[in-house]
Amino acid sequence: MAAVPFFSAFSLNDLMFMAQGAAKTLLLTLWSGLLGTVVGVVVGWIRSTRAPVVSQLLGVYIDVIRTVPLIIQFIVVNSGASILGAPLTPFGTGILVLSFYMGGFVAEVVTAGIHAVSDTLRKAGRSLGLSYWKDVRYIVLPLSLRAVFPAWIGLLLGLMKDSSLIAVVGYIELLRASQIIINRTEQPLQVLLGAGAFYFVMSFAASRYAASLERRWQF
Amino acid sequence: MIEIEDVHKSYGKLEVLKGVSMSVQRGEVVVLIGASGSGKSTLLQCINGLESIESGRILVDGTDVHAPSTDINELRRRIGIVFQSFNVFPHYTVLENVALAPRIVLGLTRQQARERARDHIAKVGLSEKLDVFPSKLSGGQQQRLAIARALAMNPDYMLCDEITSALDPELVNEVLDTLRMLSRDGMTMIVVTHEIPFAREVADRVVFFDSGTVCESGPPDEVIGNPRNERTRQFLGKML
Repeated sequence: MAAVPFFSAFSLNDLMFMAQGAAKTLLLTLWSGLLGTVVGVVVGWIRSTRAPVVSQLLGVYIDVIRTVPLIIQFIVVNSGASILGAPLTPFGTGILVLSFYMGGFVAEVVTAGIHAVSDTLRKAGRSLGLSYWKDVRYIVLPLSLRAVFPAWIGLLLGLMKDSSLIAVVGYIELLRASQIIINRTEQPLQVLLGAGAFYFVMSFAASRYAASLERRWQF
Repeated sequence: MIEIEDVHKSYGKLEVLKGVSMSVQRGEVVVLIGASGSGKSTLLQCINGLESIESGRILVDGTDVHAPSTDINELRRRIGIVFQSFNVFPHYTVLENVALAPRIVLGLTRQQARERARDHIAKVGLSEKLDVFPSKLSGGQQQRLAIARALAMNPDYMLCDEITSALDPELVNEVLDTLRMLSRDGMTMIVVTHEIPFAREVADRVVFFDSGTVCESGPPDEVIGNPRNERTRQFLGKML
């Protein structure tokens, strides 16, 4: 079938364009995954101490983050920043929203991980003269890390896919790049399969690496 | 020596220690007996500051355990405790379990800590298991590991909190043998146990606890052999 004028076939340039989109997806995921984990660890740790007021306020943060659809969060933050006179770049919006989004989920996982280490085991550590922080460093951290690592990897992979929603504020990551190419080539199936392959390769690498770490940690 | 003076302690509305006073001399083995929930375990955990107290005072070699100015981590190095539920560190090997605290608390080098750990592991008969994780050990072996871990800090006192209660009957003796060895070596110990014959054998003094108070105290032949107190008699009647 002859190509319809105005549309043109998929080219090597398009593949490069998608690869760039994939790189942006990866960048967004890694940064917000990293920052979100830092936020989540701090929030989760504070909540695990059951400190009054602060724990409850952080609970509200977690509830809001986990219940309001991500796409609304992107739009609200993006518009809000503009209204406040400090407009964000699409990438900045992405990092900001995704980090706190990831943070909310990580916090719950972290709290669960800390509680997975029994009080009596911690008492055993403290009874040997370990200070609070040495107990955290040598007992609580390694044990809860092993307990929550698979869940954390799951969150990270979810974050990579969720990051595609940043397209609503105009950031051209992998999925948006694919849509642009689809509009031009009218070959949605092939392009989307390609995009799916990109996502798969990135996720698969992460989950294989995670699995090998988990095997090494077995005791 | 350990001096316990009129100690009160509650969990919420439940008063578990109702004015406990007793003392333990250096080199003495004191065995606490009494029904579950009578406050024996709580008292042990108060002695090394794992639990707070409401009133009264506990002095270890003259240091007030619960005074805000006391360096509790420093104090705990001198007081080993072994729990009912082993509480060995599941993510460290046998050797690492014992070597950890000497290295990170006492500041020994890795080499020194491992050497010291090997000595204590040998003492409890686990030299074959140095690089094994606790999940591969029996309950009795885990408990002996916990004892070695506490001993590696070279404590002046050892507190044993029902350390055979979670063991299968055939594993009880290997752990009790370890305690017998410690008592022969002159270790000062406070032992909470339900093993009455063992109490009679190793104790210099037996203290009978009943609902948060010391009910009767004295040499084992008196308290166990010929109890004066009616409640002691009833308790022993059920146990023996």
